[in-house]
Amino acid sequence: MMLLQLNNLFKWVQSGGQRIFLLKDINLDVEEGEFISIMGPSGSGKSTLLNVIGMLDNFDEGEYHFLGESVHNLKEKYRANLYKEYIGFVFQSYHLLDDLTVKENLEMPLLYKKFKASERKAMVADMLDRFNIVGKKDLFPVQLSGGQQQLVGIARALISNPKLLLADEPTGNLNSQQGEEIMDLFKQLNNEGVTIIQVTHSEKNAAYGSRIINLLDGRMI
Amino acid sequence: MLRNNLKIAWRNLLQKKGFSFLNIAGLAIGMAASLLIGLWIYSELSFNQEFENYDDIAQVMQTQTFGGELSTAVNQPMQLAGALRNSFDDHFKHVITSSFTGDELLTYEETRITRSGNFMEPGITEMLSLQMIAGSRNALEDPTAILLSESTANALFPNADPMGKLIKIGTGMKAQVKGVYKDLPRNSDFGDLTFIAPWELLNTVANFEARLGWGNNWFQTYVQLQQGADITAVSELIRDVKYDNIKSSGDDSGPISKPVLHLHPMSKWHLYSRFENGVNVGGAIDRVWLFGIIGVFILLLACINFMNLSTAKSVKRAKEVGIRKTIGSGKNQLIFQFLSEAFLVVLLAFVISIVLVLAGLPFFNDLTDKTMAIPWGNPMFWFSCLLFMLFTGFIAGSYPAFYLSSFRPASVLKGTFGNAQGASGLRRVLVVFQFTISTVLIIGTITIFKQIEHAKNRPLGYNKEQLLYFPINTPEVRERFETIRDELLQSSSIEEVAASDVLISDTFISNSGFSWKGKDPGMSEEFNTLRATYGFGEMIDWELKDGRNFSREFKGDSLAFIVNESAVRYMGLENPIGEMVKWGDNGSYKIVGVVEDMITRSPYDQVRPTLFILHYGRFLSFVNIKIGGRGNTRQALAHIEKIFNKYDPESLFTYNFIDQEYARNFLNEERMGKLATFFALLAICISCLGIFGLSAFVAEQRTKEIGIRKVLGASVSGLIGLLSREFVVLVLVSCLIAIPTSYYYMNSWMDDFYYRTEISWWIFIAALVGALAITLLTVGYHAFRASYLNPVKSLRAE
Repeated sequence: MMLLQLNNLFKWVQSGGQRIFLLKDINLDVEEGEFISIMGPSGSGKSTLLNVIGMLDNFDEGEYHFLGESVHNLKEKYRANLYKEYIGFVFQSYHLLDDLTVKENLEMPLLYKKFKASERKAMVADMLDRFNIVGKKDLFPVQLSGGQQQLVGIARALISNPKLLLADEPTGNLNSQQGEEIMDLFKQLNNEGVTIIQVTHSEKNAAYGSRIINLLDGRMI
Repeated sequence: MLRNNLKIAWRNLLQKKGFSFLNIAGLAIGMAASLLIGLWIYSELSFNQEFENYDDIAQVMQTQTFGGELSTAVNQPMQLAGALRNSFDDHFKHVITSSFTGDELLTYEETRITRSGNFMEPGITEMLSLQMIAGSRNALEDPTAILLSESTANALFPNADPMGKLIKIGTGMKAQVKGVYKDLPRNSDFGDLTFIAPWELLNTVANFEARLGWGNNWFQTYVQLQQGADITAVSELIRDVKYDNIKSSGDDSGPISKPVLHLHPMSKWHLYSRFENGVNVGGAIDRVWLFGIIGVFILLLACINFMNLSTAKSVKRAKEVGIRKTIGSGKNQLIFQFLSEAFLVVLLAFVISIVLVLAGLPFFNDLTDKTMAIPWGNPMFWFSCLLFMLFTGFIAGSYPAFYLSSFRPASVLKGTFGNAQGASGLRRVLVVFQFTISTVLIIGTITIFKQIEHAKNRPLGYNKEQLLYFPINTPEVRERFETIRDELLQSSSIEEVAASDVLISDTFISNSGFSWKGKDPGMSEEFNTLRATYGFGEMIDWELKDGRNFSREFKGDSLAFIVNESAVRYMGLENPIGEMVKWGDNGSYKIVGVVEDMITRSPYDQVRPTLFILHYGRFLSFVNIKIGGRGNTRQALAHIEKIFNKYDPESLFTYNFIDQEYARNFLNEERMGKLATFFALLAICISCLGIFGLSAFVAEQRTKEIGIRKVLGASVSGLIGLLSREFVVLVLVSCLIAIPTSYYYMNSWMDDFYYRTEISWWIFIAALVGALAITLLTVGYHAFRASYLNPVKSLRAE
């Protein structure tokens, strides 16, 4: 089943009367259950593409269909709802909220989705269990190692059962052993049915995926 | 959600203690100041409101024409009440003649106390809804009764039941205590009415009935309207009552002064008491507005700090906004979060501000001469506080809330988030606003004190030093004045003694009915008058310009005037000496001397034309004494007290110095000046807290830049200049706005004074230099610290 579709998508910035293209004529179909890796040199538009897919960023031309909805025609509010419902994000630098404990970081998306307190509790406990971080639940991010922080970041992205997990160089800040663990986890999640799109520099990590997309100067090659 | 938000906010506060302290302290000070002002405004607006008949009570005022000018006052002839009762009985529930509230000596056996009170007609007890502790309200119907307030009763009868006791009022009147009432509210025009004696008693003893007519405006007339009566309509009805009566009584002064009556409702007594040319032009309400505005401004200053500090740390929070948005937060939820953080801060600040208010109230009460307290039990108070907090929270929190929540997650997380140019622009505007307000307040304060100083230094025209007086309480003292004078003079420490009807520091009595050669027949003249015994002029050391002083050697001096220079100009006389002035039926007076103008009324006003009259008679009210040489005061006082007790054994010996009397002229302005200082200091303090915080952020933000500059060879002083420059420019801009603004307002404030200082340029320079110095000191701390940082450290931190 088709999860999302990008047709002739362009994104640019205006600079001194010139258009500088960040994304140029992107056409991409993603089926549910795929594990895609986006690769390319720095500045080729990998993260921009990921942000556009994740609806964190706008585009200037083209069409974007997500689960049959035309994202390019949607109002901000509906887009946010769509996003909240189906997409989870994982970052290179984890982006956990420093002032919140592990447990509270996990709970945050559920709060925004207005789950009841009892449900939230159960889901958080489940996640802590699944990622084997029950013992860390009352610690603050600074008290964790990088790998552990990224685990929490992934757990937070997954807690509301997204269909699509977007990861922007998830292992970029980790050592190789931690990186491998994370990639194994991704593989396992993918096997469980989560669609994953990751941005990566590493051929090794890209190999975990089922398909590789190469970008150069905003263009798919 | 809310609980979660508050939890995060609380952790945020704890984590950045210095920042939180600046934020909360600034807000708390601002809130405390506005709370104090709020209490004061509440007390002003609720003045007199504790009286049940608040809406129906009014005072009869009259507007008369003197010298072409309309003058409005409360004093009325004693006949007015009767006339109103006779002709308009169906409009009034009560019409009451009353004397003016003043101090009287109350004596019971050996106990003697001086209390302020009044002689009033019996209806006053119903009008003011007196709450009787003993006796009944209608006890005042008995012309030999007296009602005491609870505190007066306690003072006069510490251990006994006051009811039925016979006490003495002053020296001539006796009355029986027939009632004790609860003290009247302090926050009212009757707060000092601590005893009420029957008007009839005074009337009989002083024989007013026979002596006073429609032309003697010695009293006050209060009315209580029938419930629901239209005060404007009734006021219109009684308009000409005095004029008609005075005309038919044959007194020819009426048609000249053209008295017009009107009712002044109790709700306007306190705040709308000023009349100019017969029109009510406000009064204390101006001050209520002024301080209300100052209060709002101070609160705004504090809110601005909150906004500025929040947007300054927005770089730090941008990341949080980004993350929250990527994990599903909507914009509204973020706004809600930031607002709840603001409300938490406001709540904390409010609690602290209540503590500050409690600590500051005694001082503030002293400053404002009030007895304000926090009305804990009043639900309206809590409701207002809630509104106040919501308002403050919203003002303080809305900008950061809307600003921060609008960040785009993609750009803030990517780290390409610029240093929020828009926000720093707004921050500049807000800082300029803060310093403009502060500078206006500084300039205002300096100008007020300069004006007071200017008036204090105004040449008096007489010598007020070592001059004291005691009041004449009994006819015996008046009649035997010459003997008393001789005995007083036996002490070597006493230089001169003279009696007078008013004090030289306040010649409040004025007279009319004068005519002289060359007087414009249409002129309805009015002179201040001072009646005194021989030697008065020499005693106060006035400057004789022309002619001579009164002298025992000239037999005709009982029909002589000494006039001041203003009077000469007022009368249009070329050669005043020897001119004759006819004074109604009193006879023709010859002008024998001209003295230099003296400040005998408000030091801010123009000197009024004044006549000095030689007088040995019933008007004498004060014995003035000049003490010779410093250091003799105690000896002189002992002697005076001995003589006083010899001739007036029943009264308490009280005295006062003329220079102290004179100093009372400055009380109001000095109070105003102190309040202005207080608020100016607060405003500066809050503004400084603000830029202190801001400069910390600027220094922090530019750490890397400073590091690089240092590596490239920048000097410490150059860096301090670089970091302070922005704030200095902002403060200069503020001064540019503040100077013309304050010039305009202070000019209009000084318009009220005839004798006024100039707003000189040095005030503005002083304010400018002051503001700059304060800014540099505040900002310099962080600039200095940042500039001294080892560049290796600051660059490594990146």
